[in-house]
Amino acid sequence: MELFDNLILGFGVAITPINLLYALIGVLLGTLIGVLPGVGPVATIAMLLPITFNLNPVSALIMLAGIYYGAQYGGSTTAILVNIPGESSSVVTCLDGYQMARQGRAGPALAIAAIGSFFAGCVATLLIAVAAPPLAELALKFGPSEYFSLMVFGLIAATVLARGSLIKAIAMVVLGLLLGLIGTDVNSGVLRFTFGIPELSDGIGFVVVAMGMFGTAEIISNLDLKDKREVFLSKVTHLYPTKEDLKRAWAPIMRGTALGSCLGILPGGGALLSSFGAYTLEKKLSNHPEQFGKGAIEGVAGPESANNAGAQTSFIPMLTLGIPGNAVMALMIGALMIQGIAPGPQVMNEKPQLFWGLIASMWLGNLMLVVLNLPMIGMWVKLLTVPYRYLFPSILVFMAIGVFSLSNNPFDVLIMAVFGVLGYICVKLECEPAPMILGFILGPLMEENLRRAMLLSRGDPFVFFQKPISLGFMIASAVLLVIVALPAIRKKREEAFVEEAK
Amino acid sequence: MRIKSPKDFWAGLMFIGTGLFFAIWAYAYYQMGTAVRMGPAYFPFVLGGLLVFLGVLVLIEGFALEASGGPLQLPFSLLDLLIALAIFAVLIYLAAKAGISSDYGMLAASLVVTVLTVLYRPNAKALVLISVACLVYGYLMKPLGLVAATAALVFISAYGGHEFKWKEVSILFVLLIVFSYLVFVKGLTLPFPMWPAAWS
Repeated sequence: MELFDNLILGFGVAITPINLLYALIGVLLGTLIGVLPGVGPVATIAMLLPITFNLNPVSALIMLAGIYYGAQYGGSTTAILVNIPGESSSVVTCLDGYQMARQGRAGPALAIAAIGSFFAGCVATLLIAVAAPPLAELALKFGPSEYFSLMVFGLIAATVLARGSLIKAIAMVVLGLLLGLIGTDVNSGVLRFTFGIPELSDGIGFVVVAMGMFGTAEIISNLDLKDKREVFLSKVTHLYPTKEDLKRAWAPIMRGTALGSCLGILPGGGALLSSFGAYTLEKKLSNHPEQFGKGAIEGVAGPESANNAGAQTSFIPMLTLGIPGNAVMALMIGALMIQGIAPGPQVMNEKPQLFWGLIASMWLGNLMLVVLNLPMIGMWVKLLTVPYRYLFPSILVFMAIGVFSLSNNPFDVLIMAVFGVLGYICVKLECEPAPMILGFILGPLMEENLRRAMLLSRGDPFVFFQKPISLGFMIASAVLLVIVALPAIRKKREEAFVEEAK
Repeated sequence: MRIKSPKDFWAGLMFIGTGLFFAIWAYAYYQMGTAVRMGPAYFPFVLGGLLVFLGVLVLIEGFALEASGGPLQLPFSLLDLLIALAIFAVLIYLAAKAGISSDYGMLAASLVVTVLTVLYRPNAKALVLISVACLVYGYLMKPLGLVAATAALVFISAYGGHEFKWKEVSILFVLLIVFSYLVFVKGLTLPFPMWPAAWS
């Protein structure tokens, strides 16, 4: 079996001491930032991106990936014990997890979250290993028109899945696309929208934008709220769930894993949406929906499995198509490019060690998380008592160092501050920054593929509807838009997000 | 005047303004080309137009007059934002005029805006002080080195929080500078100067 040969190759790479060490650093760091509210994986990975320049590509990606899925584990700890989502994807875990903790069942809640996440992690890893090669094969046949249609589909999917108003989300995508065009035009060499500033001729760095929109903007919004946090300090006793708990939890874990795996592959999906979806699903299917919100173990098991599955399967489009589905994946692409590797379907054939090593490391990383984290919960809880007034200047120092070291130019820090202000304004106007970031990354790619496709078709715009794969993406995009625009579904979608967000 | 969603109203205006700017700028300064051979203006022009259209939709959605809505007020002060921008523009221009680096204009403007905010706009303290702290860090690094830049960042940003105690923040600063030195300068050998350039 080719699959097993590949996996053996992957484990051979992942199990070397240096890569194990970086996987460990990644998952520990991920758990740490997952536990701490107000620090997300996007800002952390963006901070570490300049540093990965000094590592070899495999170790760098293994560490960064560990941060992303590690954060999903850590986020649930905070949600259950403190009723604050450590990570945005663990918002729904607060609902039932915290209630369980108040009933003295914090231990089983944490254990079920970890077991569910581990199971989901194993399944998702396997899914990547099985699904990625044929997808990459298919992607090799993609021409510019297919790529353009795929990106249209990706961007539309991202807006449909975003929170809040649909039109605003699409507008944010377009805004991102426009900002992504700043810099030298590849085809003509013309400097576009640089306003005579030499630093802008290479375009605005994605890391800088992400740090501003997600990092500083988030700190500012957090400071607008009052810093109050009460840790549920009752001792976490009897960690192990009862037989009854396991009996009630296994089906939600399965369903959460399946749902998360599917939603993770969609562009714009990933961990956040998966957990929302899984919670709604469990509540619908349950025989006793009245228990939800009052400490139902299904409400922890489903979403926690789903967010970890979604976090991992969102690697699939990144690894096979070279297209990032969310901001974290965009940073991964950035990491690849720093290492001089062009992302795309060819990575799997040209760099099998990188590809399979990363996949194998995900499974090992998940194992480390379960083995290390359950005993270490006490330590993570202690961390939560660190007040935010110590945390945010520290986060700022690391962000500023990271951004400054990109090119040793204060201009980058200036741009970060500007995007921080812009991000804050967007939050105040209820415009989601995530779709904008996605547009920002895809802007230049989309333009290039559009130009090539039009050149090849001699200016015939129907080329996007003539090739079967391209047509498929276009139809899928249209269907998505129509479905969401239908008044009934639109209302439901908005209700769902409002209800869960409370 | 009360409208349904003032947030949508302003978001719509923001999109329309940005879209118009990009479309007009592209049309005025770059070559449009044809659909077969697109010039540098083509894609931004189309996108700008699309953004204007979407902005109008958002605007209409938010504009329905309704008794239950909020007053037509921005969640932040547009005038304050413009004043702050004007201070930066003027001081950078003056610095360039006087023949010194515009970096110093940037630093001076940061100082002025910070002082004005602390004195007159305590509500905007977090927004302004956090942003300014980052700015100052970047522009102090080359002339004064890592220690001074980090000090500025930590003290200014901490002052933007709810509680500020000299002793706590000083300890935090010492910890952070030691950590930065060990990890970034020693460990990762990033080429940051530690002390002011004039000292060595």
